[in-house]
Amino acid sequence: MIIKKLFSLIILALVLISFSAEIKAFDQNVSDTSAVIESSVLNDSEEYQLPSVFMVIPFIILLLMIATGPLFYHHFWEKYYPLISVLLGLVTVFYYLIFLNDTHSLLHTATEYISFIALLSSLFVASGGILIRVDKKSTPWLNAGILLFGSVIANIIGTTGASMLLIRPFIKINKHRIKPYHIIFFIFLVSNIGGCLTPIGDPPLFLGFLRGVRFFLVIQEVWYIWLPTVLLVTAVFIYFDSRNKSDVEDTNEYSGKIEFKGMKNVLYLLVIIISVFIDPAVMSWVPSLSPLPIGLREIIMFSVVVIAYKTASEDILKANEFNFEPIKEVAYLFVGIFATMIPALQLISYEANVLGEKLTPGIFYWATGSLSAFLDNAPTYLNFLSAAMGKFGMNVNLPSEVLRFEKLHPIYISAVSVAAVFFGAMTYIGNGPNFMVKSISERSGIRMPSFFGYMLKYSIPILLPIFTLVWLVFYFGKV
Amino acid sequence: MKSLDEILQNNITGMYYGNRVLLPFHFIALKIVIEKDIITDFSIREKGAYVNEHPDFTEIYFMDYPELETNISKYENIKLVIVEKGKDIFDFNTHRKIAIRPEGNHILSIKELDENTIFIE
Repeated sequence: MIIKKLFSLIILALVLISFSAEIKAFDQNVSDTSAVIESSVLNDSEEYQLPSVFMVIPFIILLLMIATGPLFYHHFWEKYYPLISVLLGLVTVFYYLIFLNDTHSLLHTATEYISFIALLSSLFVASGGILIRVDKKSTPWLNAGILLFGSVIANIIGTTGASMLLIRPFIKINKHRIKPYHIIFFIFLVSNIGGCLTPIGDPPLFLGFLRGVRFFLVIQEVWYIWLPTVLLVTAVFIYFDSRNKSDVEDTNEYSGKIEFKGMKNVLYLLVIIISVFIDPAVMSWVPSLSPLPIGLREIIMFSVVVIAYKTASEDILKANEFNFEPIKEVAYLFVGIFATMIPALQLISYEANVLGEKLTPGIFYWATGSLSAFLDNAPTYLNFLSAAMGKFGMNVNLPSEVLRFEKLHPIYISAVSVAAVFFGAMTYIGNGPNFMVKSISERSGIRMPSFFGYMLKYSIPILLPIFTLVWLVFYFGKV
Repeated sequence: MKSLDEILQNNITGMYYGNRVLLPFHFIALKIVIEKDIITDFSIREKGAYVNEHPDFTEIYFMDYPELETNISKYENIKLVIVEKGKDIFDFNTHRKIAIRPEGNHILSIKELDENTIFIE
């Protein structure tokens, strides 16, 4: 109860702050600032005071606890992670309120958080009412086909939508031979790398689209990087899966049928995907609900959550063992992550702008990637896109300049886009669906590796060499 | 003592009180999944679940879930891989997957898991 109240308090505080921020916005003076930076990411013309470097500590503590909690103090962590996440978030919120008097950054973060949760929860609930039964014998090639299919549709229904839709059938097909690597490759491809072709695929690309990057630019500039990467990761998966002989005793007969139940939920998925574009920045007729940290899009998404849940078939919900825990876990953890990462992102944005001129596409690739693995990849993408444009004297807030930039220097957009999406697969917290896929798998009885186990056993030895290869072939030595 | 098949066919229920579950048959637990906790260690050194056999029933205490009724959500089950007492534990064909869930008023439903529900042994 206390946790729920604190959680509500943090959201309520941010909403109330948003009103006061709007009223004060016109005459807000940022005084006695030794380090004031122009924010090209948070707002078109707003200035904010640079936070103390020590304010990154709550974020580091939260990351460390997410990494070590389930491993070393499981019971404590399971009981108190919502409280810890919210409290650490509140440290940052109060710092910004009291010491920086910066309500704008908080409002902006609240808006992004609500959008994030609206999209994730609506996709989660809508796909929870769909039951796909594939009565086929699991083989490495069938699995590879599902992963490739997931990688493609991630560009149409988003990495979250594709993950939620396919994870259960993927587990079911492999029930006789499933191992953690099945889930991990699923996270690599369907929950992350796959969604690199369109702005619907992954949130950072959508933010770029909102800033003026053409819808088809990413597919144009990235497909020849996406395709070999997806194929290479799939090839590694086939190698792993071919060595898995646990199904030798599987004597079941398979009809080869694919059954699909819950068609109306496909309609809900469609509504969610269309609603992604219902944004004043994309369609001028869409009313802005500012200063509320919520828009028409989020209202539609939250409505889908309610309608999809209320109208879902009981049998399908039972079969999927639907419950809100995975999304609650994401909501609690990410409220802390979103709040505590504000100082980290602002410091990175500042450094990126200062160092922008010295940075090559290769450096942008690694910088965006390494930070996207641990931070939210959407603001990381925008910070580095802003820095890349700043290098050529252009402003990310002006769509005409974004358009000029993508024509003159597409390699920078490619490097930042590829890195922001691909590196989300490096950790469980790199992208929203990673955690949800992990949670659904654990509830199905699959013991998943720890935070460090995921990195040490899988993402570092498998993905890092592939991402290095991507860098060598496509970005190394380019200016 | 009834067999598991009799219990399943006749929809015989178990009971629960707080974190304690009482099942009206004898079994050996191999794996339990409650929420996202996967319990395979039933030795006394681990806190996850404690299984205890009585002459007329088997009880399980879930140490991390003080109130099962509130801890288990509407469509979720506690899933168990068990072997009925007296059956060959080393024969995988004797391993049964069952789902139990608190239904209110201390009544615990016991069902065999169907094909739709994903539960990996």
